[in-house]
Amino acid sequence: MNWSLFFGELVSGLTLGSIYALIALGYTMVYGILKLLNFAHGDVYMVGAFIGFFVLQWLGGPLTTAVTGWLAIAIMFVVAMLGCGALGVGIEIFAYRPLRNAPRIAPLISALGVSIFLQNSALLLWGPQFRSYDTFDLIGVKSYHIGRNFFISNIQIFTIAASFGLMAVLTWLVARTRTGKAMRATSFDREAAEMMGIRVDRVISFTFFVGSALAAAGGVMFGIVFGQIFSLMGFTAGLKGFTAAVVGGIGSIPGAMLGGFLIGLTEAFATGYLPGGSTYANLYVFALLIAMFLVRPSGLLGSPVIQKV
Amino acid sequence: MALLELRDVSRAFGGLQVVNGLDLEVGEGEVVSVIGPNGAGKTTVFNLITGIFRPDSGEIVFDGNTVSGLAPHTITTRGIARTFQTLRLFLNMTVLENVMVATYGHTRASLVESMLQLPRSRREDKEVRKLAQEKLAFFGQRLMGYRWDQPAYSLSYANRRRLEIARAMATGARLLLLDEPAAGMNPVETHEMTELIGKLRDEGGYTILVIEHDMHVVEGISDRVVALDYGVKIAEGSFDEVATSPRVVEAYLGLRTAQTK
Amino acid sequence: MVGPNLEGGVPPGPGVVDQPRVGVDEWVANVDERREAQKGLTGLVRRAWEGVPPAGRLVILLGPFAIFPFFANEGNLYRYGLITVVYALLALGLNVVVGFAGLLDLGYVAFFGFGAYLYGIMASGHSGHHLQAEIAIPIAVVAAALVGLLLGLTSWRLLGDYLAIVTLFFLQAFVIFVNNANGGPSDFSYPFVGRVDLTGGANGLDQIDPLNFFGYHITTTKGYYFYTLISLALLMTMLYFVNKSRTGRAWRALREDPLAAEVMTMPVNRLKLLAFMFGAGTAGFTGTIFGAVQSGAFPGDYDVGLLITIYAIVILGGLGSIGGVVIGALVVNGAPELLRSSSNARFLFYGVLLLALLVAMRPWYRPVVVLLGTIAFGAVVRVVVAAAWPRGTAGHVQGGGAFGRALDHWVLIPTHVDRIAGWAYFVLILAALVLTLVRGWWRTIALIPTLYLASFVWENKLVEQVSGATRLILLGALLVVIMNVRPAGIFGTSRVEIV
Repeated sequence: MNWSLFFGELVSGLTLGSIYALIALGYTMVYGILKLLNFAHGDVYMVGAFIGFFVLQWLGGPLTTAVTGWLAIAIMFVVAMLGCGALGVGIEIFAYRPLRNAPRIAPLISALGVSIFLQNSALLLWGPQFRSYDTFDLIGVKSYHIGRNFFISNIQIFTIAASFGLMAVLTWLVARTRTGKAMRATSFDREAAEMMGIRVDRVISFTFFVGSALAAAGGVMFGIVFGQIFSLMGFTAGLKGFTAAVVGGIGSIPGAMLGGFLIGLTEAFATGYLPGGSTYANLYVFALLIAMFLVRPSGLLGSPVIQKV
Repeated sequence: MALLELRDVSRAFGGLQVVNGLDLEVGEGEVVSVIGPNGAGKTTVFNLITGIFRPDSGEIVFDGNTVSGLAPHTITTRGIARTFQTLRLFLNMTVLENVMVATYGHTRASLVESMLQLPRSRREDKEVRKLAQEKLAFFGQRLMGYRWDQPAYSLSYANRRRLEIARAMATGARLLLLDEPAAGMNPVETHEMTELIGKLRDEGGYTILVIEHDMHVVEGISDRVVALDYGVKIAEGSFDEVATSPRVVEAYLGLRTAQTK
Repeated sequence: MVGPNLEGGVPPGPGVVDQPRVGVDEWVANVDERREAQKGLTGLVRRAWEGVPPAGRLVILLGPFAIFPFFANEGNLYRYGLITVVYALLALGLNVVVGFAGLLDLGYVAFFGFGAYLYGIMASGHSGHHLQAEIAIPIAVVAAALVGLLLGLTSWRLLGDYLAIVTLFFLQAFVIFVNNANGGPSDFSYPFVGRVDLTGGANGLDQIDPLNFFGYHITTTKGYYFYTLISLALLMTMLYFVNKSRTGRAWRALREDPLAAEVMTMPVNRLKLLAFMFGAGTAGFTGTIFGAVQSGAFPGDYDVGLLITIYAIVILGGLGSIGGVVIGALVVNGAPELLRSSSNARFLFYGVLLLALLVAMRPWYRPVVVLLGTIAFGAVVRVVVAAAWPRGTAGHVQGGGAFGRALDHWVLIPTHVDRIAGWAYFVLILAALVLTLVRGWWRTIALIPTLYLASFVWENKLVEQVSGATRLILLGALLVVIMNVRPAGIFGTSRVEIV
């Protein structure tokens, strides 16, 4: 048994999974509150990664920066999260809000349109080529090891820890604050919430803000971990993020986290172990999705929705 | 043997026990009213009978066969049809189409047959159209003639309720479940609805289970009345027996009123 | 007594025969017509259209297609004719899934590719088999429908939103698979047969045979064109019949209110699956045509770009509208083809802007004000910039023509434009969004710099990628706008929705 391969894939999977989890959170929150599949979410993730990239450049580029390494990273995160938060709110206001009472399919088509628009705008403005984050020198990659076979780098630790941290903040937000309560109420019954005095529009905007900010964080993290970003990265990542949300149970925040890790681990172990691994890794994730639908459609931690007749 | 039997049926949602060990029988040709305060579980009983929810325990038997656990479209094809408390018509389809579409379970023409306009498809379409017109004729001139090709959303409220009943009739049902058929109607329309339900039983030969709040209607139509509260049957009998039963008065108006009556 | 007698103030008792009450019931009966009549010219056209018998409508829609080959050369016949008809066929199938049954199928073009590849496996020089079309086509159609069945069954319990994600993923999986299933080292090794070159990998499955019906080979573009056109006509006819039949009614009911449909004897999930399979089969059929026409099946053809295009056709044409799909295909396919040359694209861009202005702004003087204002504004800006910052106007408009040259003197074309163009694009989007928020004269005034900015962005950026990213950007924006303005699609009828 090749333990170093095993642990290597494990850590890879968890790192990748953290990023997927961040994307999944945005999907699950929006679906919970609006019953909408926000296809544009993956592209918000991509925009976040690019904002981070441009901030990095503005601060002087990947090798040296005007401020210390970790501060630069922090600034990248903050700007990307705020920028994408605003983007998410804007998308909601212009593409989804007018369609709140339209037939179910209308906001979905609109979401598709926004996704295509964002993707190709990025292509047009920034080109299809890969852009290098290359923050490795900036941060100073260090690799830690336990025993002879378990290696983990500081970047990977950072990613997993940061994801957990953000998810913890989100969970606290939803469970303990008034806004969180308003969010839960709105996702349960929007009309009733409105009648109870909750400013539903604001709650929804806030949800989009938070979800998009998390996706942006994921995007910047992707750039840091993998070193490169490109205009079309949002599409598959968004797909997997949504799969993660569904697998974990859509509408459930811990479910999104769990789903994210599951998808990440599946991809990593498929690459390492299964036939046709790296080429067909996405196929295996797809197979996982199908399996989940057959066995437990409401997801691992989700609850079936009851429709009042 | 009763046409419909509910044997010890229970159903809970989350922690809330909505229907609790309910026994109910409806004999062929009877009109039975179900009354009770809001939240008593009346519509849930309808949902259980029509298969939208499965009972957690107990059995629902129709015409000697168990139907609890079957898919809703199967149950309806077997002979139980319903209307909805909040009206669920196919608003963008015409009046006639609303009724025609309910015959789906009894027709056989496949997609390919329809595409190629094979004889069975054409024949069934003609028959279904005629059947729909007959069912609509039951309601007098209101839903006839030029109305057939009007979209359902252009109908007045009372006509929409009638259309929903016509649609339920077209399913070939023997048992009709009417969920608050007179809700939102003025006294004239309510009176008409009362007469209509009588007509359904006498001329149409239907067995009818009605949820209703308007006691005049209940009095006017019922062979038997069943009162529910918190998912449990609290009284059963003729209208007078149930209306004066202390438990029923308590359920509607509170304990003090029951004690003073 | 016939008819209500309201003189005494007492409403008539029941038992009175209900005659149409003059005034009240006429209004109700006419509500449908009044909805349409409100739109003036459009209403007139629509009513005229509905007066024509169905067969006549088919002839009107497809007649121009039938005579097109006699006016077009080979290249145009292929680009504008054949591709349009192929897209129309595809869109018709998708319309059944999305428009009739209300399912969001985001993997639809995978069935299209599946049909092409399967046909290629059955009849190509690449694979070595040469089945005749009358055998190969039914196999491809049934196989595609079966794959649709399997896919639909997986999300059986929640056909709807989940189907969207499963199908999207399916498309991705399909693309990855056909890109890699060439028997090479990165491919699977199958039990018993080892490595097999199924799809030719990234190079595609080449040397696909022309369609061979009982020995008769279709080899010319014209031949395929008419074959596809006849198939389209047949499918449209059959769908027309279906719409008026048992299954068609059931699909419409299920789109209206799935729960009510279920309780009215309709097996909703089975019907959804049926629609889904029908769409898959149609796509598979169209795939066999496309594979034969191109003499090959290439992975890049069956991807998300095509999916969006077909969706745009269906949405534009109107969900559920059979005839609308044809017009949608014309518009959506014709426009990008026209966009291929910069000067054509330019005409189209400014033309659409102008049209939108004229249509959207009611009193006639408003669009005129905006137009003149924009020209004046542009001229002033240009003069100022030329004086203060010469590099800002030193560049030249791409493409030529008199219009282009005139624009050259009006629009700002800086020489090193990339950074600015990016920010300009961003500002343009913001400006467009702001425009939707303001009203009245503010909007008229705000339009002027916005239009100038739009022209700037077009000439400096969008025009570069006209057949690639720009086309999709516009398509994406189009989808969002249509959904906001007219969710039923341009030719669909506005529907009343149960909220």
